[in-house]
Amino acid sequence: MHHFVKGMFASLGIIFAAASSLASNQNTFSEDERAAILSHGPWPPKLTPDPSNRVSGNQTAIAFGRELFRSRFLSASRRHSCITCHNPNRAYADGLALSSGVSKVDRNTISLANLRLNRWFGWDGGSDNLWAQSIRPILDPRELNGSATMVAKRLRNDIPFSRGYKAIFNALPTNHTDEDILVNLGKALAAYQETIVTPRTPFDQFREALANNDNQKANLYPLAAQRGLKIFVGKGKCGLCHQGANFTNGEFDDAGVRYFKPSGGIDKGRFGGIQKLEKSPYTLLGRYNDNPSKVPGVATRHVARSHQNWGQFRVPSLRNVSQTGPYMHDGSLTTLRDVVMHYSSLNEERLHLDGRGLLRSLNLSHQEINDLIAFLETL
Amino acid sequence: MHKALTGFIFGLLSVGIASIGHSADRPLIDAHIHYSHDAWEGLPPAKAVALLRKAGLKKAFVSSSSDKGTQLLYKTAPDLIVPVLRPYRRRGELGSWMHDESVIKLLENRLSTNKYAGIGEFHAYGNDVNTKVLRRVISLAKQYGIFLHSHSDAGVIDGIFKQNPDARVIWAHSGFTDPAEIRTMLKKYKNLWSDLAFRDEHATNGKVDPSWRKLFQDFPDRFMIGTDTFAPERWYYVIEHAT
Repeated sequence: MHHFVKGMFASLGIIFAAASSLASNQNTFSEDERAAILSHGPWPPKLTPDPSNRVSGNQTAIAFGRELFRSRFLSASRRHSCITCHNPNRAYADGLALSSGVSKVDRNTISLANLRLNRWFGWDGGSDNLWAQSIRPILDPRELNGSATMVAKRLRNDIPFSRGYKAIFNALPTNHTDEDILVNLGKALAAYQETIVTPRTPFDQFREALANNDNQKANLYPLAAQRGLKIFVGKGKCGLCHQGANFTNGEFDDAGVRYFKPSGGIDKGRFGGIQKLEKSPYTLLGRYNDNPSKVPGVATRHVARSHQNWGQFRVPSLRNVSQTGPYMHDGSLTTLRDVVMHYSSLNEERLHLDGRGLLRSLNLSHQEINDLIAFLETL
Repeated sequence: MHKALTGFIFGLLSVGIASIGHSADRPLIDAHIHYSHDAWEGLPPAKAVALLRKAGLKKAFVSSSSDKGTQLLYKTAPDLIVPVLRPYRRRGELGSWMHDESVIKLLENRLSTNKYAGIGEFHAYGNDVNTKVLRRVISLAKQYGIFLHSHSDAGVIDGIFKQNPDARVIWAHSGFTDPAEIRTMLKKYKNLWSDLAFRDEHATNGKVDPSWRKLFQDFPDRFMIGTDTFAPERWYYVIEHAT
């Protein structure tokens, strides 16, 4: 496990120490609320290697992928790297509303963590696996602006990287095609990114205390966070989309955020993502899936564009959410307060609530907004 | 004029389900377009009309909150736009309009001033059909010989035809109900058309569901397609939808 939030456990200690002096009571949770809370764990989850990636979990590949991730080797100009946008000191995001590589991108950088739990990748789910998603920015002219030819040529001429490649893929890059090299580099990058897992949080400790009926430990969880949690699993129904231990159902919805691109035109969201899947040679249905049975590709085989997909974006995980702003696909909401306010006063007519849609305007009080934020900050 | 406009439209509708599967020799009509204030702010009328033409539409049924958007579009392209009068002055009235009696005067004024082929799309459920406002809407449609575009449950459709058995009604989103209930309603009311806007169940990946297929075959001239541009960004979906 790669703990990227330096001092997190120290912070937890401070929170718990403060909480223990303030919280003399615990909120009462109904059986339904308790069950809902317990569904958000345990954490960390047990992760298994990705069957579509033969080097998933391979320590040599992880180390090689880490080097690639940090180096400027994959950038055409050698001026950018993965950490240009996915900065380990910023929760593997960049703190900007919109990503910026070679030029500005129309979307917010998604924090890289707990990726092994994803079914779809990117705001639009344009990739169905992490190695394909790792290839995407290499080829995007706005990001690393590379190509299979460029990275292959560069790899063949770089002795240390070339040796590292051979150690994992059992052949020098001179013996592989450009595209095979591109895909293999994507798989090494994926192997590394799979190791980025967020640490346990005050919420996880509270959940565990609740599961063990340990009131003394549960009482350490701040009361405001407990009240916010009650809204999250109750009135807010937030868990309908932000499900499970990773606080996401991994699917897509229209959150009522505008989706005109800042640069002009429309961000089609999931609709465009499915179109990308249909055209991509790098999906789980393609020849680069290392699992001969292609079983992980079932969802991709059955995915179909619908009217609802227009302007839908992936439901993000809420783990570590206090550190991953700005928020939403276009970074249009700067703070967690902005996000909670957005859901509190949704423009329901933008959402076509009849016929679909789980979202309703929450109409939260000032106190409830503060409580929900207090809860989110413990994730 | 109202009757002429409506007659033309329902004449086109006789091509019915043949419109689905767009080709150059088949007129394509989008029966469910909104052009509300947030749409016309970002997509001026000339640009909006250009987009509809690019989609290859022969006609577009347009309503808006407020009606200003519809009028702007109709003035820009009277050959393309079929104006429909929405009883909302702004967004946010879809749940309250039927209880606001000032809506009656608004509709009467607009109808006496402008040309419309219908009134709608309005939202109504259950006993809303018996409110003073909706009763007047139904009588105004009768008076002007124009259709109603009703986003409602089957009960409201029953209520409309009870008040005016000769009414012509487009059932928005086919009531978000199943093929069996749609079949019942289409059999019961010969002047009921069913729009498929924002519905996906009838066809996935180009394959039509058998129960829907049977429904389309049994009522080939009673279905309409529509994009439903309920958010301004969805205007850009009109082209994708048409193709």
